[in-house]
Amino acid sequence: MRIRSIAWANLKRRKGKAAFLIVGISIGIATVVALLTLSRLIKDEIGTQLDQFGANIIVVPQSNSLSLDYGGISVSGVSLDVNQLKDEDARRVLDIPYRNRISVVAPKILGVSNVEGQPVLLAGVNFDAELKLKRWWRLVGQKPAQDGDLLVGYDAAKRLSLIEETADGQSQAVPVMPMAEITSGGGVHANHIQEKAFRIARDRVQIGGNEFRVAGVITPTGGSEDQIIFGSLPRFQKLLGKPDQLSMIEVSALCIGCPVEEIVKQISTQLPNAKVSALQQSVRARAETVNRLTRFASAVSAVVLLIGGLMVFTTMMGSVVERTKEIGVLRAIGLRKRQIINELMIEVAAISTIGGLVGWTAGMLISWLILPYFSQSGLKLEIDPKIAIGAILVAVLIGAVSSVYPAIRASRLDPSEAVRYV
Amino acid sequence: MSFVVIKNVSKVYQPDGIDSAVRVLADINLAVQEGEFISLMGPSGSGKSTLLTIMGAMNRPSEGSVMVDGVDVYELPEERRADFRREYLGFVFQQHHLMPYLNTLENVMLPLVTSKTSAKEKRSRAMAVLQRVGLANKATRLPNQLSGGEQGRLAIARALVNEPPLILADEPTGTLDSNTGSEIMEVFQQLNAQGQTIFMVTHNPENALVAHRIVNIRDGRMFNESEKEQ
Ligand SMILES: Nc1ncnc2c1ncn2[C@@H]1O[C@H](COP(=O)(O)OP(=O)(O)OP(=O)(O)O)[C@@H](O)[C@H]1O
Ligand SMILES: [Mg+2]
Repeated sequence: MRIRSIAWANLKRRKGKAAFLIVGISIGIATVVALLTLSRLIKDEIGTQLDQFGANIIVVPQSNSLSLDYGGISVSGVSLDVNQLKDEDARRVLDIPYRNRISVVAPKILGVSNVEGQPVLLAGVNFDAELKLKRWWRLVGQKPAQDGDLLVGYDAAKRLSLIEETADGQSQAVPVMPMAEITSGGGVHANHIQEKAFRIARDRVQIGGNEFRVAGVITPTGGSEDQIIFGSLPRFQKLLGKPDQLSMIEVSALCIGCPVEEIVKQISTQLPNAKVSALQQSVRARAETVNRLTRFASAVSAVVLLIGGLMVFTTMMGSVVERTKEIGVLRAIGLRKRQIINELMIEVAAISTIGGLVGWTAGMLISWLILPYFSQSGLKLEIDPKIAIGAILVAVLIGAVSSVYPAIRASRLDPSEAVRYV
Repeated sequence: MSFVVIKNVSKVYQPDGIDSAVRVLADINLAVQEGEFISLMGPSGSGKSTLLTIMGAMNRPSEGSVMVDGVDVYELPEERRADFRREYLGFVFQQHHLMPYLNTLENVMLPLVTSKTSAKEKRSRAMAVLQRVGLANKATRLPNQLSGGEQGRLAIARALVNEPPLILADEPTGTLDSNTGSEIMEVFQQLNAQGQTIFMVTHNPENALVAHRIVNIRDGRMFNESEKEQ
C-alpha cells in the first residue's frame, strides 16, 4: 500500500465520480478535436476543390480585339497582332522567382477551323499539362498518346457524329487522373454532370486536309470544352497557320493561400507584352473562406476549452471540498501535505489522461460521422498522432491547472477542523 | 517522568466575523503516565475534543505547552509534527472517519503508506492487528459492509497498526448502541492490559469506569480527578 494505491482505490471504487470527471474533460477535448480536424479537412478540401477549377492565372497577348470565348475568358483571336505570345514565353513563366509555387503551365493555341463542313473551335494544347489542369475531365476512350491524337468535347463529337449512345446505359468513362494521383477531394468532381452512356463510333476525322485519330471523347462538363477539339500544340499551330504562336497560357499555382498576386506581378515582369490576370474572385474567395473557417474554429475551440477548464476546475474544487474530512483524516493520521497533493494529482493525472484519450476518440468519431455533411467528396480522415498527443497533453494540463489550487488548499486544511464535523 | 505533560494550556477561538473570542479551555494541567488508561468526561461543548486534538499534536493551544515523550510537539515544524503524529499517536475518531473507498485491510494499512517497509510486511502487520480486534475474516470488506461495532474496531485497528505509544480516542462508542459499545470497550481494556496507554473522551459514565482514572472537565476547566481502585 502506497500513496498511489490510495488514488487507485479511490478511482476504482468511486467509478461514478471518476466517470463524471472523465466525461466532463472528454466533452471539451472531443469538441476541440472535432472542430480542429473538421476545419483542417474542410480547409484542405476547399483548397483542392478550388485548385480543380483550373488555372489561377491567365496569360494572354495584349490586344483590344476580343473575338473568342474560352473558358469564360475572352481571348484575342487576331493572329496578326503585334504583341504575340510565343512558345518560349510559356517556358519563361517558369523563370520567375516563385517558380516553386507553380504547378502547371499550360500553353495553348486557339482557332476556328472547318471540320467536315462545320466550323469548330480548335485548341492546340500540351496534353500532359492540360490534363493536370482539367482533373475533373472524364474520358471515353484513352488519353492521347501520339502526335496526331485528339480529345474531342462531347458536343463537338456529337455534331460530327463521332459517338453513338450505348443501350446498356453503363458508361465506360474514366477520370483523366488515376485515382492514386488525385489528392484528397479529387474523387468525383462535385459539378459533374449526369453522364449519358456513349461510345466512340468513328475514330478518324479530317481537319484541314489532315487525318487525325480520336483518342478520347470528354464526357459533358457543361463548360466550353464541350465544343472544342483538342489536339497537340505543334500540330494545331501548323494547321491554324500560326507556328510558334500561343493564344494564351494558363498557369496553376500550388497550395492554399499562395501569393498569387505576387506571382502575377513576377510573370508580368517576365512577359512585358502579355496581359496577366489572376482569377481574382476565386482566389480572394478561397483565401477568405479558409481564413474565416480557421478563425471560427480557433475561436470556438478557445471558448470550449475555457468552459471545459472552468467546469473541470469547479468539479475538482467540489470534489476536494467533498473530501475535506477525508483529507483532514489523512493529515491527522500523519500524512505530509506533499503526500496528499501527490495522491490528488495522481488521481487527476489518471482521470485527465483517460479523459483526453476518450475525448480524442470521440472527437475523431464525431468528425467521421458528420464529415459527409460537410464534404461532397469522400474525404479521408487521417489519424494525426500530433492531435492525439496534443489532446491528451491539453487534458492533463487542464486537469493539473484546475486541481493544483484545490489540492494545495485541501492539504493546508487544519486537520483538527476537518475531523470535527460529521 | 510522565509520558504526556500538558502545562497551563488554554485555547481561545476567534470565530470569523465575531468580535468576542471564545475561551474553550482555561489553564489545563494534566499528566499521563505510560500504561495509563484515562477517561475524560464532561458535558457537550465543555472542550473535550479540543483538549484531545491539542494533545494529538494537531491543534495549537493559545497558551501553554504539550510535551509527549519529552518532545515539545508545538515547537516542531508543521510537517515534522505530521511525522510525529504518525509515529507516536493513534487516533480513534468519534465518527471513525474510515476511508469509504478502502477496504478493511487497506484502511488499516493507511498509516503505513509512507513507510519504507515492504508491501508484504505492511500486509502482515495489518493482518496481525485485524486479528487482535477480531476482523481478520473481513479484510476485503468495504466499511459500509461492516456493522457499527465492526467499524469501531476497524478504527481502533487503524490506530494501532503503527504501534503508537499513545492512543487518543474521541467517544469511540458515541454512535453505537450499548452492546456494541461495550464490545469496543472490551478491546480497549485488553489493549490496556497489554500495556497500551489510552486517553479516551466519553459521555458514558459506565465506559468511563473502565479507565484507571477519570478526568472531569466543565466549561473548559478541570475539576476533581477521581482515581479508581485497581
Ligand atoms: N474551530 C473552532 N472554532 C470556534 N469554536 C470552536 C471550534 N472548535 C470548538 N469550538 C467551540 O469550543 C467549544 C468546545 O468544543 P469541543 O468540540 O471541544 O466540545 P466537546 O466537549 O468535545 O463537546 P461534545 O461532547 O459535544 O463533542 C464549543 O463551544 C465549540 O463550539
Ligand atoms: Mg467532542
